[in-house]
Amino acid sequence: MRSVVRIMTLALNTVREAVRNRILYTLVFFAILLIGTGVLLSTLSYVERERILEDVGLAAIRLFGAAIAIFVGIGLIHNEVDRRTIYTILSKPLSRTEFLLGKYFGLLATLWLQLIIMSGAFAVCSLLTNAPLTSAHAAAFVLIGMELALLVSLATLFSAFTTPMLASLFTVGLYLIGHLTRNLQDLGQRSEVAAVRELTIILHRVLPDLESFNLTTHAVHSLAVAASDVWFPLIYGVGYCVLVLCLASVIVERRDFR
Amino acid sequence: MSAERGSAAEVVRVENLAKDFRVGLRARRQRVLEGISFSVRDREIFGFVGPNGAGKTTTLKILMGLIFASAGHATIVGHDVRETEFRRHVGFLPENPYFYDYLTGREILQFYGRLCGLSSARANERVKTLLDWVGLAHAADLRLRTYSKGMLQRIGLAQALVHDPRVVFLDEPMSGLDPIGRKEIRDLILRLREEGKTVFMNTHILTDVEMLCDRVAIIVKGQIRYEGTTDQFLEAGKRETDIVFSSLPPEMASRLEERGAELRGVLGRLEIRVAEKDVTDVLREALAAGAEVVSVAPHRASLESIFLSAVGKAQQRGDSR
Ligand SMILES: Nc1ncnc2c1ncn2[C@@H]1O[C@H](COP(=O)(O)OP(=O)(O)O)[C@@H](O)[C@H]1O
Ligand SMILES: [Mg+2]
Repeated sequence: MRSVVRIMTLALNTVREAVRNRILYTLVFFAILLIGTGVLLSTLSYVERERILEDVGLAAIRLFGAAIAIFVGIGLIHNEVDRRTIYTILSKPLSRTEFLLGKYFGLLATLWLQLIIMSGAFAVCSLLTNAPLTSAHAAAFVLIGMELALLVSLATLFSAFTTPMLASLFTVGLYLIGHLTRNLQDLGQRSEVAAVRELTIILHRVLPDLESFNLTTHAVHSLAVAASDVWFPLIYGVGYCVLVLCLASVIVERRDFR
Repeated sequence: MSAERGSAAEVVRVENLAKDFRVGLRARRQRVLEGISFSVRDREIFGFVGPNGAGKTTTLKILMGLIFASAGHATIVGHDVRETEFRRHVGFLPENPYFYDYLTGREILQFYGRLCGLSSARANERVKTLLDWVGLAHAADLRLRTYSKGMLQRIGLAQALVHDPRVVFLDEPMSGLDPIGRKEIRDLILRLREEGKTVFMNTHILTDVEMLCDRVAIIVKGQIRYEGTTDQFLEAGKRETDIVFSSLPPEMASRLEERGAELRGVLGRLEIRVAEKDVTDVLREALAAGAEVVSVAPHRASLESIFLSAVGKAQQRGDSR
């Protein structure tokens, strides 16, 4: 219980830091600008105008969400050590894992807040242009939220032991591969070489399969979304996050903060 | 271990601590602490004293659980320093502290109070008391970004006390402050002792040791060279004074040399180094003999040599420890 209060205190302060830090506003501003551009583009074309709006809008939300997740996440622990703010915090009666979780949930709450703002902007644009809003959209936004949680956990993990420079390389790398592992596996299955087939299967199993959180096609084409299309990725995502955070916890509990 | 060392009056106990840092690309091991042992008694101001780079901050970081010892053992109020719950008895002010500068003085203290498990009502109450105590009530709602060095040091001290700990650890609390700032911090430290707290303080400034500390441990190049009362330490490390004469009668010069003073000719002048307690006698005698004095100045030996000579003399007298 005490532990929860401490994690909440750290998380709320992390949100407060983001709110007082203007860079996040500018990113949200740009995302909304892009959604607006989608609206503009859709008015220029008579065919499939809703699809253009939705394609651009959803892509903007996913991309900006991921960008903020990665570029704030990679400094989440490292900057606290670098600026030595961690010294006084860890001298208080809290564990290093509580600190890690506080920072993690703080950034995640910030990102979800931004996702809600961006989704709101998207919904307003859709209503203004008479584009359809279906339950597939809600499902797509929920899974974008899950993907962000996973991205932040990865960035936090790297930020727990390396510089933001390297952490951004690792996280961006995983982000890109994470969106390609399915395609890689499909390609691999066509290979003559057994080792290649094996390897692409292993990659797909071990690396995060970020495409499983992508329901934008369903949303854009107003396709029906089965419950399992949401639940399975959610369970998969939460499990993956827990594993990554456990690894990060092992690292912060052992390392020297000097 | 003697019975005395294990007594309940010991608030901090450090035994045989060692620390290796890995440095350079090859991760070469470098030993920066070796066999560090000392103990801090209840309700004293304990000075952990040594020249820059001696290993004071490293030792303190081990005590605060920020880094882990390569060997040895340390306890605070009877708990291994790797635990976390007992830190509700511990306050810490790091060297040149940094805080979230987007928060105000009040917010940062509330934040630390909540981390220590205070209810928000209790935290608010403590914050108010502490802001008054460190004289920052007027700046309570300004962002830390706008604070001066002295104000940051005071908010740092308040932060270390927010949960009313039994023992407070301060790393070079007066460094980088102007004389007024130094005095303010010094007065606050003395008030801490009056309030029954134990204070552990890193410093390389002998004046601060003299004015504040009941007992000291001297660390030089990662090793403890002395542990005992401040009085004994300062007695042994008494400073010397340089007197420069533009002219000094030869018979006076030889008399001074017989008394063991060092004489050196510098640019046609004569400089002698005497113990501080002998300055008045030597000057009176020399002036009576017709000498002309250019300057009288305290000899600024390097800190390390003062520490070493103090340690040497204390050990000769057989009263170290
Ligand atoms: N992070 C570090 N990595 C490698 N060496 C270090 C590190 N921090 C301190 N040292 C070395 O350890 C020694 C002791 O440093 P420190 O404890 O900061 O001294 P003090 O606080 O007494 O001035 C110094 O020689 C310093 O160079
Ligand atoms: Mg130091």
